[in-house]
Amino acid sequence: MFLEIKQIKKAFGQGESRVEVLRGIDLSLERGEFCVLLGPSGSGKSTLLNIIGGIDSADSGEIVIGGEPMSHMRERQLTMYRRKHLGYVFQMYNLIPNLTVRENIEVGSYLSDKPLDVDELLRLLGLWEHRGKVPSQLSGGQQQRTAIGRAVVKNPDILLCDEPTGALDYKTSKEILKLIEQVNKTYGNTIIMVTHNDAIKYMADTVVRIRDGAIRDTVRNKQRMSAEELEW
Amino acid sequence: MKKNPLNNRFIRDLRDDLGKYVVIALLMIFTIGFVSGFLVADGSMVKAYNESFTKYNIEDGNFRTQKKMNKAQWKSVEELGLHLYELFYREFALENGSTLRVFQNRDRVNLVCLMEGEFPAKPGEIAVDRMYADNNGLKVGDTIRTAAAGVEEGAAGADTAADEQQNKGQNAWVITGLVALSDYSTMFSDNNDTMFDALKFGVAVCSPEEFEQYPDKSLIYNYAWKYDDPPKTEEEENDRGEDLVKDLSKEVKLENYIPRYANQAIRFTGEDMGSDRAMMELLLYIMMVIIAFVFGVTIGNTISQEAPVIGTLRAMGYTKGELIRHYMAMPLLVTLISAVIGNILGYTFLKDVCANMYYNSYSLPTYITIWNAEAFVKTTIFPIVIMAVVTYSILRWKLGLTPLQFLRRQLRRRQMKRAFPLSVRIPFFDRFRIRVIAQNIPNYLILLVGIFFANILLIFGLALPKALDHYQEEVERSLLAEHQYIMQIPLDALDEDHKLQSALKMMQFVSETETENETAEKFSAYTLRRPFDAPYKSEDVMIYGAAADSRYVKGIPETPEGENPRVLISSAYSEKYDIFAGDTIELQEKYGADRYTFNVAGVYDYGASICVFMEQKTMNQCFDLGKDYFSGYFSQTPITDIDGKYIGSEIDLDSLTKVTRQLYISMGSMMYLVDFFAVAIFMVLIYILSKIIIEKNAQSISMAKILGYTGSEIGKLYIRSTTVVYLLCFVATIPAVTVLIKYLMKIMIRLEMTGWIELYVGNIVYEEMLALGIGAYAVIAVLEYRKIGRVPMDEALKNAE
Repeated sequence: MFLEIKQIKKAFGQGESRVEVLRGIDLSLERGEFCVLLGPSGSGKSTLLNIIGGIDSADSGEIVIGGEPMSHMRERQLTMYRRKHLGYVFQMYNLIPNLTVRENIEVGSYLSDKPLDVDELLRLLGLWEHRGKVPSQLSGGQQQRTAIGRAVVKNPDILLCDEPTGALDYKTSKEILKLIEQVNKTYGNTIIMVTHNDAIKYMADTVVRIRDGAIRDTVRNKQRMSAEELEW
Repeated sequence: MKKNPLNNRFIRDLRDDLGKYVVIALLMIFTIGFVSGFLVADGSMVKAYNESFTKYNIEDGNFRTQKKMNKAQWKSVEELGLHLYELFYREFALENGSTLRVFQNRDRVNLVCLMEGEFPAKPGEIAVDRMYADNNGLKVGDTIRTAAAGVEEGAAGADTAADEQQNKGQNAWVITGLVALSDYSTMFSDNNDTMFDALKFGVAVCSPEEFEQYPDKSLIYNYAWKYDDPPKTEEEENDRGEDLVKDLSKEVKLENYIPRYANQAIRFTGEDMGSDRAMMELLLYIMMVIIAFVFGVTIGNTISQEAPVIGTLRAMGYTKGELIRHYMAMPLLVTLISAVIGNILGYTFLKDVCANMYYNSYSLPTYITIWNAEAFVKTTIFPIVIMAVVTYSILRWKLGLTPLQFLRRQLRRRQMKRAFPLSVRIPFFDRFRIRVIAQNIPNYLILLVGIFFANILLIFGLALPKALDHYQEEVERSLLAEHQYIMQIPLDALDEDHKLQSALKMMQFVSETETENETAEKFSAYTLRRPFDAPYKSEDVMIYGAAADSRYVKGIPETPEGENPRVLISSAYSEKYDIFAGDTIELQEKYGADRYTFNVAGVYDYGASICVFMEQKTMNQCFDLGKDYFSGYFSQTPITDIDGKYIGSEIDLDSLTKVTRQLYISMGSMMYLVDFFAVAIFMVLIYILSKIIIEKNAQSISMAKILGYTGSEIGKLYIRSTTVVYLLCFVATIPAVTVLIKYLMKIMIRLEMTGWIELYVGNIVYEEMLALGIGAYAVIAVLEYRKIGRVPMDEALKNAE
């Protein structure tokens, strides 16, 4: 297995106000697999994503990526882990306002020893025409595409997407989903996407439904539906 | 190596935030430029000054005798291991009210640097000190005349004028050149003076032919010496100086003795230049720390604004170090650019400004600008290091949060659980303002620190001229008497080897120095010295002995038999050294090791000099001066019935206040500069901090506009909170700043100056401070009001997370 998540537990607060956010999550993913973490707000899916991404820590349990356990990593090693293996896409685009689209993508490519070709990626993302614009000149969808470009340009082993369509309208959301699907197919990255949109589960290889910090069920789709076909 | 794409932001950051960078850069350029110019000028001039000791063969010391030394005396003195040189001079009271000390031009010792024109070649010509000429509006070709009534201005030509005047018994000279005498880089007419006098005292050289015309009796017999075997260390020089005075006094009757290390006219310049440099460097470092903290605050604001971006970058794998370097780059770049421009200005324009400040105070020889590696390091490397250390520390602290905290904008380490309660009775706008203040406490702390430093500069710049005026008034108010004559006792009246003869001479002196003036009152005077009290400067203390029932010094204590003499000390003495009634003081012989202990019975209201008052009878006894000894008269009206030859000097208001004149000349331009720096700091700080507060609240301001608040109402909310804090900080720092500056001034005077000037801070100083502080604030407030007007309404709709 490329990614193994073993008995991850996480709680916030102390005493009576203690809330167990994750109650022992187990999950394994193959390289190139597209996984959707599905669940309502507060179910713990974003926390799990952040723990996988090394920006939050588990109280117990282990995550092993490519045979490398994360639990013993210190801050510096975690940073290197993220640098080497991960790409992040958030609901908010968090682009650098005074860099152009191209430069925002280059911010990602700088971190990689084997980055993708930026021009090629700009075309794939449909941003070629907008490459010289700054974020404030772009629509929300274009900004999110730039953010995806920034995340995938370093050709990460795993692309973590936290509600990437959460702030977008239906049409733009579909465009973004299509893009993520295309990235997955073109570059073969493992993708873990957090969403509360039930319809998105059909485009995944694996659907993990989380509620109250525990996995309710894990479904492996025999056949993935294309993003184009999704309706909600 | 890959270029970090984040670097592309620098130029755009610069462009987008030009106002901020420009004001900070200007402040840095001016600070660095001025300090660089100062250090370069100072370094070049110190080098010229230090080299002048060899170049102009400066004496190892000088002494004065009442009579010209005979050959035998000369020989025996030279046998002490010295080489002697005649350095006779004559002093003239000029019609412009100043005193000119004229030497024959020297060719062996204490050589003269010709700075403009030519050396005098014949009688009637003179080359005067360059600074004296500048301060008295004299130039080459002008004629100067001794004071005498009824002489008309010369007519036909300069030479004719000079000849004509001399025929009338009045000296007149044509100035042929402006010079610097290597043994008078500072114009001390008397080595015991508190301060030099570059306005009313000057030196000059004339041709040998001119000097030969002066009658012997008018000359002052001064001799310079150089050691045959020069001392190698300062300590050795001091020891030899101490020994020499004893040996010399066996050979000749000394009227004055000044080894070079104690000669203020030679040494003061070097010491002052050194201490000025330390002050300028301190100013630079204080300014740099303030600017670095201002940058720190702006960085803090940028980090708050860019928190989600920083979180994302950290989540992507950017290291904390990479981000620290990224955010440090702009402050360092701006500092570097400012340092380069500042140094260019320093080496060109500002160097001359600073050199002129020295030329206003000191008579220095010409100098050549030299590359000063130390100045470069101190004005380029040090500011960058200060900026790097301060910004690095702030960034390390600010960027120490986890990526998730940045993504969630949880930027406070201790999250505020809930808003602190405010009574609803407080009007809404006031409550709002209190919340704005609470939100910006770190920024306001920086403002407080900045205002504190700026106020130190401002109070110094504003108070010093007023303190000089106040000193003048105090001296005038507390004058012991309208006239104070010091008698010149003939040396043969004190000749211990011929006691009978000296007693007769003393009797003659006593009878001929009696006066009919009813206001006159005899007093004794004796000069002692404060023992060296490292690191403070040693200084002379005048001991006055006045009659027990003196009209001029009231309340002189009697000394019971067998006790240390009971004395009053002048208020200047008390204030300078913190000595009060009940303390004891120990003073020592000026040229000897004997020490005297006095019990301080009280403080006498006399601010003009460091002196001690005691009963004349006790004093004469204490110093073994003889029962009838006296040194001079206090008098309310001029004494006209004593032969001028017995009057050594008259201490009047003019002579007591030369320190104020000199400080005006030497520090006048500096004080304006200090004021300028202070106001500039205020303006930059307020500008940057108000800008941050507005930017931080841009969304709220925008929302308030959408809700229908007017620009002026919003200004009242956001600008007025800063106004309140600014005024509070301003007023709150004033008492602390006053205490601190007075303390610093006291230390500085103890270290640097003899005498005492209280840094009197009158109400007018506070009024001026407030006017300048409020004026500086008002200018910035107007700009910030305009800025609020320009916050777009769609700001509230952007980045709504």
